[in-house]
Amino acid sequence: MKWSSMRFSRQPLRSERSAAAVRRPQWARPVVQFVAAGLVALVILIVGSGWLSKRAATDEAITSARETTHLLATQVAEHAVTTDLVDGQPAAVDRYDRFARKRLVVGDVLRIKIWQANGRIVYSDEAKLIGKRFTLDEEELQVLEAGGTDAGVSDLTQPENRFERHFGRLLEVYTQVWAPDGQRLLFEAYYSYADVTRRSAEVLSAFRPITIIGLLSFVALTVPLVWVLARRLDDSAAERERLLVAAVEASEAERRRIARDLHDGVVQDLAGISFGASATAREIADRPEMARRVEALATGVRQSLRALRSLLVEIYPPELRTAGLAAALDDVVAPALAAGIAVNLEIDDTAGVPEDATALTWRVAQEAVRNAVRHGRPKSLTVRVSVHDNVLSLLVEDDGVGFDPSSPPREGHLGLRVLRDLVFEAGGTLAIESSPGLGAMVRLETAR
Amino acid sequence: MKTSKSRTAAALMALGLLAGATTPALASGGGNDVIRSGGCSGHSTWKLKAKPDNGRLEVEGEVDSNRNGQTWRWRILHNGNVSAHGVATTTAPSGSFSVARRLVNAAGTDHIGWRAVNRATGETCRGGLSI
Repeated sequence: MKWSSMRFSRQPLRSERSAAAVRRPQWARPVVQFVAAGLVALVILIVGSGWLSKRAATDEAITSARETTHLLATQVAEHAVTTDLVDGQPAAVDRYDRFARKRLVVGDVLRIKIWQANGRIVYSDEAKLIGKRFTLDEEELQVLEAGGTDAGVSDLTQPENRFERHFGRLLEVYTQVWAPDGQRLLFEAYYSYADVTRRSAEVLSAFRPITIIGLLSFVALTVPLVWVLARRLDDSAAERERLLVAAVEASEAERRRIARDLHDGVVQDLAGISFGASATAREIADRPEMARRVEALATGVRQSLRALRSLLVEIYPPELRTAGLAAALDDVVAPALAAGIAVNLEIDDTAGVPEDATALTWRVAQEAVRNAVRHGRPKSLTVRVSVHDNVLSLLVEDDGVGFDPSSPPREGHLGLRVLRDLVFEAGGTLAIESSPGLGAMVRLETAR
Repeated sequence: MKTSKSRTAAALMALGLLAGATTPALASGGGNDVIRSGGCSGHSTWKLKAKPDNGRLEVEGEVDSNRNGQTWRWRILHNGNVSAHGVATTTAPSGSFSVARRLVNAAGTDHIGWRAVNRATGETCRGGLSI
């Protein structure tokens, strides 16, 4: 038997900088992920802060309207209210009307109404409403009785607001005023909600650039820092991987050397001894007792030779091209059979498959089967090698106890990780699927 | 409330008496306009116009004395109470003055009164209309 020099060494790195960076997709790089997450956060913050700012600005605008209304009511409107006006005397209404149209319904104020507690409109610049009676709601009565101000969007479907419909959406603000006779009245002013929106937009436009520039500056400042850190991590990971691969290669080289030495030395010697003993046994056939002992000796040597060859297969495979992948995999699953595991071995014709791909398949199968036998405690094991559309596939599946592939490997159990690296660098893919209690499946696909 | 009604009734009675005492007013106008005019206690004449306008009344009072520079105190009454008042001076070329005010169109019939007193001569113009 001749031992080939099969190697699972990685391909030369495309960049000296970082092996991890070379094979990691662009989107998976930490800097890209950070920038993407930063941009998403930026958008969320801009939208969120915009919403909050808009709300705050709207509140601010409404508060401003409330303050304006309170000042207008208490400092202007109230002083012109007379008992005659409250009584509905037409001349008093005329006078107040001229006053109101000049002093109250100005600027942003589109309409005013002055109410009595019974719902009668004492005055409105909409003359058709004067003297009419409507129902005041709880909030309005609360303000009328207790003072303060309140505001809300006008319900233009209400009959008392029917003359305001042409204004569009309105903000109504009401506050308490007093008549000279001590009667509480409700002063109500109406503003265009477009003004509120405009004021809100003004406030927002003042703060939005600060928010956006601040966040962009933060991202711009942190990206280089993250880039440096990510590069260090990449370099560190690449270094670890280089060391790992070097260790694997050194181990394989040592295996090859030991296997070659054993094969070329001890195995040949034992084979010679075995043949010699058998020949001697035949030569002394006339001395049956002696011949039996010599033959027993030859048999023992042959058994030791088989055990040694099995060990050689274990520590390094035979020449796959000559012995074939099927024969090599037979040896791989032999320990499983010996452990009482039902093994289903299905292998397509792998003729023409490159040696590297065959070797990789054998290597993955060896590790997967070894893991299954050692850790999975399965009842059955399937090893399937198929060739389809220039893809060489290996499936190793067991019904054992399974494991969590996402959990970090235990100390000293880096086999699958090393395999993944080897497969990736060979241009293949390695899928490991398992979960506790549900067995495990290792699938390799590589170009044939 | 009673006080207000009493004042209104008294003013209306006075308006009617005075209207009867002066030169008979002339009613004219087109559409919804109501116009009254008449003579004052001297040689001057007065005119009062009222026109409904979207819940209000456009009221215009005028005194024509044919003499420029006369100062008159004027008042517009609405249902007997003073809705507006002021001082005006007759100007060229007609030697007249006029004032216009918008009154709130109250429920029911509105009675508008027009008063003007010449501050120098005491000549008085009184008129009214209902709309």
